[in-house]
Amino acid sequence: MSDALHIQPEVGTSHGAHHDEHHVHHHKETFITKYIFSQDHKTIGKQFLITGIIWAIIGGLFSVLFRLQLGFPDQTFPILETFFGKWAEGGRIKPEFYYALVTMHGTVLVFFVLTAGLSGTFANLLIPLQVGARDMASPLMNMLSYWFFFMASVVMIASMFIQTGPAAGGWTVYPPLSALGEASIGSKAGMDMWIIAMALFVVSQLLAGLNYVSTILNMRTKGMSMTRLPLTVWALFFTAVLGILSFPVLLSGLILLLFDRNLGTSFYLSDIYIGGQALPNEGGSAILFQHLFWFLGHPEVYIILLPAMGMVSEVLSVNSRKPIFGYMAMLGSMFAICILAFLVWAHHMFVTGLNPFLGSVFVLLTLLIAVPSAIKVFNWLTTLWRGNIRFTPAALFGIGFVSLFISGGLTGIFLGNSTIDIHLHDTMFVVAHFHIVMGVASFFGMFAGVYHWFPKMYGRYMNNTLGYIHFWVTMIGAYLIFWPIHYQGLAGMPRRYLDKSVWVNFSQFHELDKMITVVSIIVFAVQLMFVFNFFYSIFKGRKVTTQNPWGATTLEWTTPINPGHGNWTGEIPEVHRWAYDYGKDGREFIPQTEPVGANESKH
Amino acid sequence: MEHTSSEITFHHHTDDETFKKKVKKTTILLSIITIIELLIGLVIYNIHKGENPSAYLVLAFKGMVCILTIAKAYYIVAVFMHLGDEIRNFIMTIVVPLMLFIWFIAAFLIDGNSYKNLRNDYDKHFKETTSPRPHHGHEAPAKPEAPKPEPGKQ
Amino acid sequence: MATTVSTHQTKWWSGGKSPFNVEYGKVMMWYFLMSDAFTFGAFLISYGTIRFSQNFWPDPNVVFNAFPGAGHANLPLAFVSVMTFILIISSVTMVLAVHAGHKGDKASVAKWLAWTIVGGIAFLGCQAWEWHHLITGEHATLIDGQIQMVGQTTTINPWGQLVAAGPELTAALNNSDQHVLASLVHEHHASQLGHAELMKLPKQDLVNMLSNAELHIREKGPVAFGGYFYGITGFHGFHVFSGVIINIVMLIMTQKNVFERRGHYLMIEKAGLYWHFVDLVWVFVFLCFYLI
Repeated sequence: MSDALHIQPEVGTSHGAHHDEHHVHHHKETFITKYIFSQDHKTIGKQFLITGIIWAIIGGLFSVLFRLQLGFPDQTFPILETFFGKWAEGGRIKPEFYYALVTMHGTVLVFFVLTAGLSGTFANLLIPLQVGARDMASPLMNMLSYWFFFMASVVMIASMFIQTGPAAGGWTVYPPLSALGEASIGSKAGMDMWIIAMALFVVSQLLAGLNYVSTILNMRTKGMSMTRLPLTVWALFFTAVLGILSFPVLLSGLILLLFDRNLGTSFYLSDIYIGGQALPNEGGSAILFQHLFWFLGHPEVYIILLPAMGMVSEVLSVNSRKPIFGYMAMLGSMFAICILAFLVWAHHMFVTGLNPFLGSVFVLLTLLIAVPSAIKVFNWLTTLWRGNIRFTPAALFGIGFVSLFISGGLTGIFLGNSTIDIHLHDTMFVVAHFHIVMGVASFFGMFAGVYHWFPKMYGRYMNNTLGYIHFWVTMIGAYLIFWPIHYQGLAGMPRRYLDKSVWVNFSQFHELDKMITVVSIIVFAVQLMFVFNFFYSIFKGRKVTTQNPWGATTLEWTTPINPGHGNWTGEIPEVHRWAYDYGKDGREFIPQTEPVGANESKH
Repeated sequence: MEHTSSEITFHHHTDDETFKKKVKKTTILLSIITIIELLIGLVIYNIHKGENPSAYLVLAFKGMVCILTIAKAYYIVAVFMHLGDEIRNFIMTIVVPLMLFIWFIAAFLIDGNSYKNLRNDYDKHFKETTSPRPHHGHEAPAKPEAPKPEPGKQ
Repeated sequence: MATTVSTHQTKWWSGGKSPFNVEYGKVMMWYFLMSDAFTFGAFLISYGTIRFSQNFWPDPNVVFNAFPGAGHANLPLAFVSVMTFILIISSVTMVLAVHAGHKGDKASVAKWLAWTIVGGIAFLGCQAWEWHHLITGEHATLIDGQIQMVGQTTTINPWGQLVAAGPELTAALNNSDQHVLASLVHEHHASQLGHAELMKLPKQDLVNMLSNAELHIREKGPVAFGGYFYGITGFHGFHVFSGVIINIVMLIMTQKNVFERRGHYLMIEKAGLYWHFVDLVWVFVFLCFYLI
């Protein structure tokens, strides 16, 4: 036993050497190996980002379409019929189309944009660069992870073009609706394709997550201890852990759903009548699916949010020229969030008939999340406090993130209480809450990341003016859209309803709904402007001339402006200090690679 | 990028004899535990057959089987999968996340049980048709009554 | 172990090396298995949840009491113990293959791998037999006021509660099909006649013949039982199958000297981890479906 531990000095250092030699005889790259089936983590990150952008346009467009219906329920838009034919006969969105739009909007943005597009992009780009590795632990698996995601995307897109349309039971695909093809056309073949696409997606996430975790653990360069890692890497680490442990549970739930749909089993089905006919299924429990779904679903919101938190921490620290406030507290609260994320899933199910005693335990655990979240918020604020802030678009989006996280987080405290949730459940209040805290906030984190690391990705800057317009319109727009929705929800307006005109009470919201719709169209247009800025800048943006344009301490800025496969041309630099030495001993910043001086003060 | 062998440091220098002894010991241990489990399974079977199966006794035996299973899992993981030979931190990264199962199992089962109680309260038909009938030992076979020829039949 | 580490004063976490002294492939394999444990865990916990939401659940000893070639003998748990031992033994041979790999002993690696593959295939064969037996089994079940002979499928479960003697049962017998009654008579040796001859008798005679037999007629049981049994053992069987495939690939690679050329047999170690995991899962499947 004891002799099993002969430590051999070449453990990981040889790693670099090996990669070096690899790097040398890797020059015979073709277009295909360089841009398509690339195993370079930077290229894979860009692939995730661009695929994510395409998905975001699709998902965002869907929201504009159903906002048209919500804002102008009594008007017709003939152009819709031109594009969508029978789904919008006479220029009016059909109920089935509306449900399909809502479902796909949720699925696409939660999974394909904010999971794959956000953590897929930045985990791939930043982990090897910031821990000091030539590439991921397994570049091949990394590439496969993208292509599984791509296949998932293809299946999901294809489901939108079949005759019965895509899945339309809500992004949570609760049975029995999703299990019974007879129940609605959105539960026919589109639902099967949804399940298949999600299964492929889980595989992609698993391959990616395993890679991230083992890269962060095994591939750190010399001197890069875990507490010297930038918070981005820590956030991406916890994200990967969440994904590895929770996505398989969704997979199990979906496999059982697939069986219920196609093999006549009764996992989720019991006592059901369709069209006056009793189904033979008995003994299943629809609540079971909700448990399984939310066992993933809750960690999923942190899978979405944590990378944004990590990037915002980094961006805010760099741009306020101050060390991050409370590094260990940040780390501890992310760890706490990561654990709590697994323990609170049933707060999505307070009104399912969940055992009230069990519910009270879930309330307690849910409200506990407020503690680490508040720690993080105060740490961001204190990082900014009396900082020498450079208001770059990235920094603005970082600050916007903090604002949105506070606004959206506070309404989470309402919803986490089971008694209040009885009133608020399935109302627009919930929609407003999670769109602000998870949707828009994560998007802000993502934009902060894109603006900040664009120079690293493409060796050019994005256009600042367009960036400022993008920020202010999105920021104001997000509050104009989602703040009033809280009031609708408090008044009892249900979510997912096509037409609420039968309730006289809600007629007071007509004008408000119109305003929300108009603002969403404007915000959507501004996002298109961002997309234009992104692609334009790839080719025509101002060129980066220095290695370290933001004056940051982390390792990615020690690579060449356009790093090749292998990142560093020579040796991988050694790390001597943590990632946040800003404004120390009269110096603006000290890179991580610089050895600690003899009479340097301690932080 | 394939990594060459230079990255690998973990050579088990355990000598043949001790290792084989250990494997042998574990195999025998696993077999014995499995046999005990099977015996308990048969005991449960016989309790069920009896006139008045005691729910608590059955539960106690089932609890024992669960503990034995966890012991088995421990030996497979620690010896066969060599986790016992790894560095403690590595063991922790694998064992600690598995703690999530405690709440995972508890919450699911409590809610499953609560769903049953709800249905028994509000769905009389469910309760009547599925509740175990306690008056006879539940494996006692049925003997149909001798049929009385019914008028109008045949 | 930990003491050895600290006496070396190795800075495990300071970067430049694996903090666990484990190559990344093995780290990934372990975390993959952890992830897979959550897949199986979710299945088994779902099964438990449904079981807890039912008033009645079949006793596994009654369901799994058949043995190939033993006809109708009541041998609870006998066959599944054979399956369990096959898997444990195949796990042992895999350990030996991995150990031989550490020593670089190609011949032994190949030998033990081959035995592991045999064990895996034997297990799959047993599972196939068991499934076939359960699906095609004919169990007298009281359905909609008459007795039917059904097997265990995903849509019906013949292992409900025993039907007590009484007018209900008598009426059900009278309602049942001729061939069901004939089979029942035959099964309970209530008559010397063959099945064909029984089919010619009037129904009432058959019912009379059964009046003294000890009938084990059951109601329908919880449907989810079958779904979960086939779903989870099937998913496990799929893992065994893929494990066998992986082992076959490993065997071929060993024979082609791939590992000799690499200078190490670490792939075998990772395949071994997977195989042991399959065994580990079976321990829990065995617990949940057959023991409790």
